[in-house]
Parts: sequence; C-alpha cells; structure tokens
Amino acid sequence: MTEKDDINAYFSREIEENMDALYGAALRLTSRGADAEDLVADAVIRAWSAIDSLEDRSRFRPWIFRILRNCYISDYRKKSIRPTESSYREEYDDDGVDGIAALLTEQTDEFLDWWAEPEREFFNDLLGEAIMAAIEQLPSAFRITVLLINVEGLTYDETALVLGVPSGTIRSRMKRGRTLLQKALWEQALEAGIATGDNHDRQSK
Amino acid sequence: MNEPEDKSAIEDIGCLQAIDALYAYLDGELDDPQSIAKFEHHMGHCRSCYSRTEIEQLLTERMRKSARSRAPDQLQGRLRELMNEIQDAER
Repeated sequence: MTEKDDINAYFSREIEENMDALYGAALRLTSRGADAEDLVADAVIRAWSAIDSLEDRSRFRPWIFRILRNCYISDYRKKSIRPTESSYREEYDDDGVDGIAALLTEQTDEFLDWWAEPEREFFNDLLGEAIMAAIEQLPSAFRITVLLINVEGLTYDETALVLGVPSGTIRSRMKRGRTLLQKALWEQALEAGIATGDNHDRQSK
Repeated sequence: MNEPEDKSAIEDIGCLQAIDALYAYLDGELDDPQSIAKFEHHMGHCRSCYSRTEIEQLLTERMRKSARSRAPDQLQGRLRELMNEIQDAER
C-alpha cells in the first residue's frame, strides 16, 4: 500500500466513524437537517484539502470538529447572519461556586426543596419527548451545550471546539443549563399536578 | 465509584462545591482523582446531594437514550461519493 493509499483509507475510515457525531453537531448548530448535511459535506471537503496539516492522526475528531465550526462561521458570514455563538450572553459564563450560589438564590424555596429530593416517580415516568421539550425551552447557549454533550455524546473539549469557546465556559454552561432544565421539569411537574409547590417536610418521607 | 484507602484523610467539601462538580462528574469530565474522591466522599454523607446526583444521573441516562442523531442515509451516500470523487481526483 502506498502512502497515498494509506491516507485515503485513514481519511475514509475516520469519516465513517465520525459521521453521526459530525451530523449531530451540525444539526445542533444549524437547526435544519438540510443545512446540517451541507455543512458536514463542506467540512469533509475542507478537511480533505487540509489533511496534510493534521500532524497527530489520533486527533482527527477534534481536528475535524474545529473545521466544522470554521465552515459554519464562514457560511454564516456569507449569508450575513450572525452565528449562534455571538448571540450568547456572556453573563451566563461565570464559573465556580459563586456562580452556582448566585443561580440557586434566583430560585424559589419550593423548587430547591424539590430539586434536592425530586419525586422519583416523576422521573421514572418522564418520557424522552418531555425531556426534549424541556431542553427546547432553554436559552440557546445552554440548549446547544446540553444537546451536544448529553444527547450527541461529545466531550466538553469537543463541544468547546464546535462552539468556539473555552472548555471552562462549557463546564459553566452545563451547570447552568442542567439547573435550568431541572427548573423546566419542575414547571412540568407543577402543570401535571405531580408537584404542588407547597414547601413540605421531606424528612418525614 | 472509587474506594479511597483512608476516607478520614479526604477533605470534606460543602454542598455548593459538590453541585459545582456534579455535572463534570456525571459526564466523566472530572479526571482529577482527588476531586473525584472529594465528591464521592461528600455523596457518602450528604443525603440531599446524593439524592440529587441520583436523579441527575437518571436524567443524563434518559437524554443519552432519547435522541442521538444519526447521519441520514442520503448524507452517508453523499459523503461516500464525495470521498471517492476527491480522492480519485488526486490519482
């Protein structure tokens, strides 16, 4: 096998293995299946033309995620539309215990009480559709982050590459996004009559 | 969960720090053994955080099973054709 054949086989294998993840990431960025398909195809063409720049073959996946992101940005520049990331609110990106404390102070005692020990039956009965509906209610920065990590299975570093932000920001967004998701589920529980909103004594359970 | 040799030697963290580490722990992104040990130690004696972690884990598993995208057949065919074209063009 020549060196060229070896690179061809390597590239084809990597694309096959990462096709679903690339499509999943593209779908979460563009929100449209047809756009996502075009974005993945653009990224594959650009990746092939730059294959010589990939120094470490074990790093194909992060490398092509970065290319996908760059294709997404340049595509949106052409269309004069601001990419999703630019609409994110930076104040959501605070990190650490202070951020968590601030977030918890925004929430009602009833929610925090329920969040500490939510009804297991509610979660056992919760359908995937209901969870996805709650995710859809999240602000875009958190929605995309939660979807890429918890649904599409990307790592924090890969998600950071796709969204063009530092890994620490992804960690912050996961914390806030998942907390907001809990809140959305709490509201569903209230509507379904599973939670009453009364601050009751859970120690007696 | 990891079993530390001497649990009394592990520094206790508060609930806020535990919540701070919760999602990274569940997502397999907490790779520092000390941070993992501290988090698990806290779970061992805080009923509230333990309960919250259990529910978050359940929710994480539900999300993982719910709707992972799969490249449509049409895209798979398109990419295979594309790779044949771009690779053949260089022969």
